[in-house]
Amino acid sequence: MLAVPDVTDRDAAFARDALPWLDDVYRFALSLTRDEPDADDVVQETYLRAYRSWHTFIPGTDCRRWLFTICRNVFLRSRERQRPTVDLEDGEQDAVAAASVYSAARERGYDDIYARLDLAPALRDALDTLAEPFRSAVILVDVEDMTYETAAEVMHVPIGTVRSRLFRGRRLLQEQLLTVAQDLGFAPAAVAA
Amino acid sequence: MPTRGELVALGLSASCAEVLGHLWDYLDDEIDGAGAARMRAHIGGCAECRAYAGAERCFLQGLAALKRELRAPRLLRERVARRLQREGCGCWERARRKDAG
Repeated sequence: MLAVPDVTDRDAAFARDALPWLDDVYRFALSLTRDEPDADDVVQETYLRAYRSWHTFIPGTDCRRWLFTICRNVFLRSRERQRPTVDLEDGEQDAVAAASVYSAARERGYDDIYARLDLAPALRDALDTLAEPFRSAVILVDVEDMTYETAAEVMHVPIGTVRSRLFRGRRLLQEQLLTVAQDLGFAPAAVAA
Repeated sequence: MPTRGELVALGLSASCAEVLGHLWDYLDDEIDGAGAARMRAHIGGCAECRAYAGAERCFLQGLAALKRELRAPRLLRERVARRLQREGCGCWERARRKDAG
């Protein structure tokens, strides 16, 4: 006969494996909703569904990835959105385009643009305007430090799609940072030094 | 992969093509050992690519640092706790006792 885990065992496992990721789930929810009250709703529903479905979680696997997957599904359901259909074939094109952004920055004398900018607020602002699904890819890989493979599982897309979305997202962010530097009237590095 | 024209426009030689197209994969640690070694060797010997790789590292570190800035608000934690308790979950109390202990 199979032993049925009692409720306290389940709660203990949930406390140990799921609760520590609340900050991470919140960041991801906020990146999806771009609205704090909406993010709160998504986080609450995510944890509620996770608790109700805890028997489907496989102990020893990546609980954060599991929670992120639920979180994304909750968000999509709440918006009644279909999965984004943007598919980009060639990440290299965006990688080269990003090099062009850097090249343009150097031409203006902003060799150390990312070191000189107050990067955190500039990146937050740029992320706020970044469209889905590029935003999710950047948040999962760059902020939450997921591998392409893990992010692909969360987003339910092939790894190549994560990569191309990530590269497009990064390039768009860098273009915005260059604009910010210009708007701030950055002096060329050699002059400012 | 980038075209020769694109590379020339950037002031780079064709030998930089692999680095340009795969630098982010390399910095993300998503390239296998042999490929990573090839990238490392090129970047070590090419001042242009080294400068670019340094700038990209700085950019990615800036993104990674955002993680430390943003945490779930206390009110949200309490709200989730209340909702889970209504569901019959005692996990929050356990976590709280653990934190206190």
